[in-house]
Amino acid sequence: MPNIAVFIEQRAGQIKQVAWQMLSEARHLVDAHGGEVWGVHWHAADCDVSTTAGRYGAHKVVTATAPEFERYDSELWTQALAQFVQQHKPDLLLIGSTAMGKDLAPRLAARLRTACISDAVGLSWEDGLVVKRPVYAGKCFAHVTARSVCPVVGIRPNAFALRETGDTAAAVVFKPVLDASRARASVTAVETAAAGKAALTEAEIVVSGGRGIKGPENYRLIEDLAGALGAAAGASRAIVDAGWVDYSHQVGQTGKTVAPNLYVACGISGAIQHLAGMSSSKCIVAINKDPAAPIFKVADYGIAGDLFAVLPALTEAVREFKR
Amino acid sequence: MKIAVCVKQVPDSEVRLNLPGPVPELDRSAFTMVINPYDQFAVEEAVRIKERLGHGDITAVTVGPAAKVREMLKKDCLAVGCDRAVIVDDAALAGADPLAVAEVLAAVLRRDRYDLVLCGIKAIDDDSSQVGVMLAELLDWPHVGYIGSLDITGDGLTARREIEGGVEVVASPLPCVLTCGKGLNEPRLPSLPNIMKAGMKPVEVIDCAGLGLTPPAPLTAVKEYTPPPPRGACVMITADDDAAAARELARRLHEEAKII
Repeated sequence: MPNIAVFIEQRAGQIKQVAWQMLSEARHLVDAHGGEVWGVHWHAADCDVSTTAGRYGAHKVVTATAPEFERYDSELWTQALAQFVQQHKPDLLLIGSTAMGKDLAPRLAARLRTACISDAVGLSWEDGLVVKRPVYAGKCFAHVTARSVCPVVGIRPNAFALRETGDTAAAVVFKPVLDASRARASVTAVETAAAGKAALTEAEIVVSGGRGIKGPENYRLIEDLAGALGAAAGASRAIVDAGWVDYSHQVGQTGKTVAPNLYVACGISGAIQHLAGMSSSKCIVAINKDPAAPIFKVADYGIAGDLFAVLPALTEAVREFKR
Repeated sequence: MKIAVCVKQVPDSEVRLNLPGPVPELDRSAFTMVINPYDQFAVEEAVRIKERLGHGDITAVTVGPAAKVREMLKKDCLAVGCDRAVIVDDAALAGADPLAVAEVLAAVLRRDRYDLVLCGIKAIDDDSSQVGVMLAELLDWPHVGYIGSLDITGDGLTARREIEGGVEVVASPLPCVLTCGKGLNEPRLPSLPNIMKAGMKPVEVIDCAGLGLTPPAPLTAVKEYTPPPPRGACVMITADDDAAAARELARRLHEEAKII
């Protein structure tokens, strides 16, 4: 009968979508096995998330407000979350595998001396928790069990669907005792990317370009389609290493792992290192001149054609549908 | 500046698994093993720091069977600028999880006292991205994860790290743990003379007892490995020309897949 706690991450007041996805999945689990879903959330100023959290399945939301929560700090966040676990004693804590979650979960687990499992894409409860996660670049899944109280499990964004199955969540005030003198590595500035650019790892649609675009000047074809779809623009390792686009766009083994609803691979052959970063996407579209390219083996829809003709027509057709 | 770099030996990314179905354990005997590519960024950064400062001492630390990891340490660490290496070789660590590995590494780092520890952001086999941050916690040090650039200034450092939709600038005092990813630097390749010379550099092999440590019990275990679910065949869209195929694709994504 697990009580599952979900960390509801906010950055600059924006709640991460993965938080609602985790609540939805946690509710699905406890509806089958008993137990409750608890959201845990904090911020610098008043902000009530209990209505939305309730809708996605939370029974209660434990909320803290303190000026220290203005900007992410791994030490202070760890202190607050450790105190939450010690006071409320959940059986499982879910944290989104975001930039913040990946920074926070291992420190918290080491402090609590509890099991830590990252980048999970599946949760089940058989005589206890079983966590499914891709390993070896997605070439197989490991099914992992934990041998400690309240394991900390990181959940990959977009792994779970949203389900509006809950109603209202009770709001519970939580007052962590924060020792700011322990915070040593501190964020001195946050530089935000240009507005309108979706973050690759969180985007619902990703459009990526590879060598087939022939040169950096043609990456705008990728950006145009991404713009029309409201998608993030990605890239293969080949064109990042060639210096055509910044490495922050790279999808694959030494880049980012994405699991969007739609992944459009344009002029990408589909090397194993690239597949590692995108093969768990729900729907994959491949556009490539070579009909024998390995990318078609993982794709749901394919066009064996010239992307210089396909992409402008596709961008235009997408704009038509959106009108 | 005394720097430690933690490295791991992993199967080459081209390794094929071809699992027939669920298996309790992977047969790793035929895997080609290489240094974890992210750890190469950490090694390179350590060497660059030493070069910039004009002084320093770099130790590469790894956990694994000495007979298997020795060549990797020589070629990928000592031949590119690390000064010495420590191998923790203990059969009791065979099933170690990230926290257990972090505890072992922490024992080495406490014993030898470092100013800076560099790790890769994650290993490409288990993809956990945990050990570096856990190490910082166990040492009671600050950490900066996933750094994209680094500036060491006297007794502190400033690093930039990518977050969703932006970059965080983080300042930290030393000692500190940093985890390194792509974009930080371009790792150099070892030259043949340097590989020869690397054979002369000291490599210490020690076990848990030698570190005064009881082998930590793993808190996680893999119950089974399963192959990824098969994907349906790709629907190849053909039309009179590429533009018509594109319009047909958009229609199917709208009507069949209901994504746009």
